[in-house]
Amino acid sequence: MAEETVPMKQEKMKKGSHDTGKIAGLLVLFTVLALLIIAPIYALFVASWKPGEELLQYGLNLNPEFSHWGLSNYKLLFFGDHDYWIWFRNSLILTVITVLLTLLVSAFVAYGFSAYEFKGRNFLFVIVLAIMSVPFEVIMLPLYQQMSDWGLMDNYAAIVLPFLAHASTIFFFRQYLLGMPKSLIEAGRIDGCTEYGIFFKLIMPIMKPAFAAMAILNGMNSWNNYMWPLLVIRSSEKYTLTLGLNTLINPYGDNYSLLIVGAFFSIIPIFILFVAFQKYFIEGMTAGAVKG
Amino acid sequence: MKKRLLSLLLTASLAAGLLAGCGSSAGKSKDADSVDEAGGKTAMSVEGDDVTTLNVWTFIELHQKFYTTMAEKWNEAHPDKKVKLVLSNMQYDDMHNKLSLALESGKGAPDIADIELGKFPSFTAEKDIKLLDLTDAIAPYKDDVVQSRLDIYTKDGKPYGLPTHVGTTVAFYNTDLLQEGGIDYTAIKTWDDFKKAGIAYHEKTGKEFACAETTASWMVNLMLAQKGGDYLKEDGSLDVNNAKVAEVLHIIKDMQDAGALATVPGGQPDNEEAYPHYNDGEFAVQIMPFWQTSRFTSYMKDLKGKIAIAPVPKFGDSDATWTIGGGGTGTAVVASSPNAELAAEVMAFVKLSPDANKEVWNVLGFDPVNTSVWTDKDLTENPDNQFVQFFNTKPFDTLLTMQDGIGSLKSLQDEKAPSINNVMVTEVLTNIFDNGADIQQTLDDAQSELENEFAS
Amino acid sequence: MKKLFYSQKAAPYVFVLPFVLTVLLFWIGPVFKGILLSFQDTMKNQWVGLSNYQRIMGDRIFWIAVKNSVKYTFFTLLLLIPFPMLFAVLLNSHLMKRPNLFKSIYFLPALTSVVVAGTVFRLMFGESDQALMNQLIGLFGAAPIKWLKRGDTGFFALLLLCCWRWTGVNIMYFLAGIQSIPQELYEAADIDGASKWQQFRQITIPLVKPTTIYVLTISIYAGLSMFLESFMLWKGNNSPNYIGMTIVGYLYRQGIEKRAMGYACAVGIVLLILVMVVNLIQLKVNGTFDSEEA
Repeated sequence: MAEETVPMKQEKMKKGSHDTGKIAGLLVLFTVLALLIIAPIYALFVASWKPGEELLQYGLNLNPEFSHWGLSNYKLLFFGDHDYWIWFRNSLILTVITVLLTLLVSAFVAYGFSAYEFKGRNFLFVIVLAIMSVPFEVIMLPLYQQMSDWGLMDNYAAIVLPFLAHASTIFFFRQYLLGMPKSLIEAGRIDGCTEYGIFFKLIMPIMKPAFAAMAILNGMNSWNNYMWPLLVIRSSEKYTLTLGLNTLINPYGDNYSLLIVGAFFSIIPIFILFVAFQKYFIEGMTAGAVKG
Repeated sequence: MKKRLLSLLLTASLAAGLLAGCGSSAGKSKDADSVDEAGGKTAMSVEGDDVTTLNVWTFIELHQKFYTTMAEKWNEAHPDKKVKLVLSNMQYDDMHNKLSLALESGKGAPDIADIELGKFPSFTAEKDIKLLDLTDAIAPYKDDVVQSRLDIYTKDGKPYGLPTHVGTTVAFYNTDLLQEGGIDYTAIKTWDDFKKAGIAYHEKTGKEFACAETTASWMVNLMLAQKGGDYLKEDGSLDVNNAKVAEVLHIIKDMQDAGALATVPGGQPDNEEAYPHYNDGEFAVQIMPFWQTSRFTSYMKDLKGKIAIAPVPKFGDSDATWTIGGGGTGTAVVASSPNAELAAEVMAFVKLSPDANKEVWNVLGFDPVNTSVWTDKDLTENPDNQFVQFFNTKPFDTLLTMQDGIGSLKSLQDEKAPSINNVMVTEVLTNIFDNGADIQQTLDDAQSELENEFAS
Repeated sequence: MKKLFYSQKAAPYVFVLPFVLTVLLFWIGPVFKGILLSFQDTMKNQWVGLSNYQRIMGDRIFWIAVKNSVKYTFFTLLLLIPFPMLFAVLLNSHLMKRPNLFKSIYFLPALTSVVVAGTVFRLMFGESDQALMNQLIGLFGAAPIKWLKRGDTGFFALLLLCCWRWTGVNIMYFLAGIQSIPQELYEAADIDGASKWQQFRQITIPLVKPTTIYVLTISIYAGLSMFLESFMLWKGNNSPNYIGMTIVGYLYRQGIEKRAMGYACAVGIVLLILVMVVNLIQLKVNGTFDSEEA
């Protein structure tokens, strides 16, 4: 970045007025786009202050209509008799566990693929690629039966296990590790580290940006996962946020009071995760970008 | 630095979630003015070695309170057979899907489950029915219960579900609006009167009279039953394009073309998008099952004191039936449950006993399936009852008028019913009343699509 | 034994072991089981040979589902590759102010779950004149539309939901690809007097090709297996005239709603073949295999 400032300044001096137009143009374009993208979330935010039962009467729209505003939904969210916070806690626990385990296992595997030449490597790697393009929905039903046979129904293990060695995460980590200097491994061996020690002590620390990128993507998936937990989880005290929110949508009367405010709140933790990791995210994505 | 901040935030919100989670399940600080439903598990606080625990699945939160109240009464009356209900409330589709998967695999099923009428036939379709035959449990109450409501959960003469309400189809008239339009609803006796009143109202006020349904078939089924028609032949084979179905749709279409009916956002009166339109007075009349009462008190509050409940119009005195029961939830007992017999006995008490049926009216506002309570004026005209307060006619007078004429469509018991209903509400009605498609052609298409589905 | 475990020869196998186990237990096993099930009628518990597949061939609704999924995939590719690429280039321009702020905003929709996003869009596309989209067209004097009841407007809502959620993610992918292009190439092009547009066509597009292929692959995968968006937008698997029915929606209907597990698995296998074939053609055309095996 630092080197770039010099030519930039020169350019600016050359055609400053021309650039101002461009800067303004870009700003207008991206602001309009940003407004369009924010509109539904803004509508959700506005709706969260209006009485839920009358949501459809007033419509989900962008008019703030402050006269209808009240705290009743938020009161309900924080003090009401419902399971929202249980779902919230479940989702949080499940997401944290899934992300930690998936990153660890996938990185472990990816290191195997990138650091060694071994028999069957190419074959196995083609399988990684193949699995990346098998829609999960294809195996969803047989896998459901299998989990049922193994007695893993209603168990978080059934949600986490199939994605521990996550193909696209492995693929990404491998791309990232291909750019790692081999000398690092050699140095580790000379220092007397075991093969696994090298991975845990030397490699994992340099993978931080890649971890950040994948933590966000996997965290997003896990936090918002719906279909598979829906099939696996039976008891309502194990419901995740998406499952729980969906119980509020019912042909026998939707509970918009909790649904809207709960939906709005469900975005917050994952948004914090994103903002905190954003810098690493781009860095990690760039380093692990597909290089063909 | 940021990472540390992040982990701090995550830990904090995790802790908050844990605390709040425990707090809300233990504290039970019920928000006074909330009538809301939320998913979750509720257990009765009965303890002891002789207490049998029964797992119940529901998809309507409100039913949970009703069940526990009644189960407590059961425990008082039967100290030797105490039960503890543990209730799980799930999302509607989800609960039915899980129940069917659990019954199929023989693992994880509850002892008792609420099954919605539209889904019921798929649970009694197989040879090897996994629900308990409830004949014995129902026997003590049988004479007082509306037979057609037991029939809809019956297969080969054996009842498998306990009804919650009758769902008598009635007419809800907005008397304020009709007065403005110069309409006297008490003079509406036949569908012909209904149509004339609708045209006159529409022309005078410019507003809509009643709706042509596109996402449900309450009125369609009512008319079809009055005409003595159905969607299946006597032998149970598909017959959705028969002359009577077509005739009924033509009658409705004519009303629509004449201005007596119009489509409503959401496609039917019992829809979240439709409620505001009724509440704002854009539509004056609803032909709906009786349980619509509870929608008025929850979602159409502005109509308090403006709605009269009246018998539905007829075609003539030779009609096959006057009205029908619409919608419903059958409570079923899982046959493989170790406590199936007890569960059946308890639930029959919880749902069919006179005490229970009083509760059904008081709490839920439904028309009780045990008609012995219909004549109990202390109950039905209790001035403290919110439903009595809401409507400006005596709700049970209308019910008693039609009491002997409550029929049903036989096809509702057939395993094809869910698919037929699905085709009606996602294709046939919307194509005809929204898009103006040809009626016979649309029905022929529906017939061939259903034939294809059941071909294998 | 212990020595073998720590040896350089055995180590790679230990490293890839979790993957091999996962694949065997949770992918190969179920795929194999799915293939077996697709030749059975699970309701009657008997083998039926190819009859499930024969039924698929004549199943009108299945073909509607295929048509919907393919159409959806095609339009998402058309919209979600060129535009995010262009936006990424512009965002990366040194003339852009506050790029990080915009990146965060664009990424926001991807953080909302489909359950939430679908519900919000369903309400926005409501039939009432108070609903957002009807208010919007009302500004131009148009009458309210029953958005989710008509094929064209329903599809538009679905596509908009998808673009809303994924534009930001794809921008991120392309940004990452663009930032790995050596800056010197652009400097050299500047010296040669190439315009920005020429640079975009001659340098950026060819050099982000690996990213493009990656995005293409996952978009094909996601497009053909889309279900939840439709499920939430129509509040169930019951859109009028099947305008929102997708292949996976049909698989769900048969396998879960109607418990015809065998037939559903046959639908799944057809989907699998479809995705594989489309992706193989795509990768072949783009010549990915030649470089990937190296």
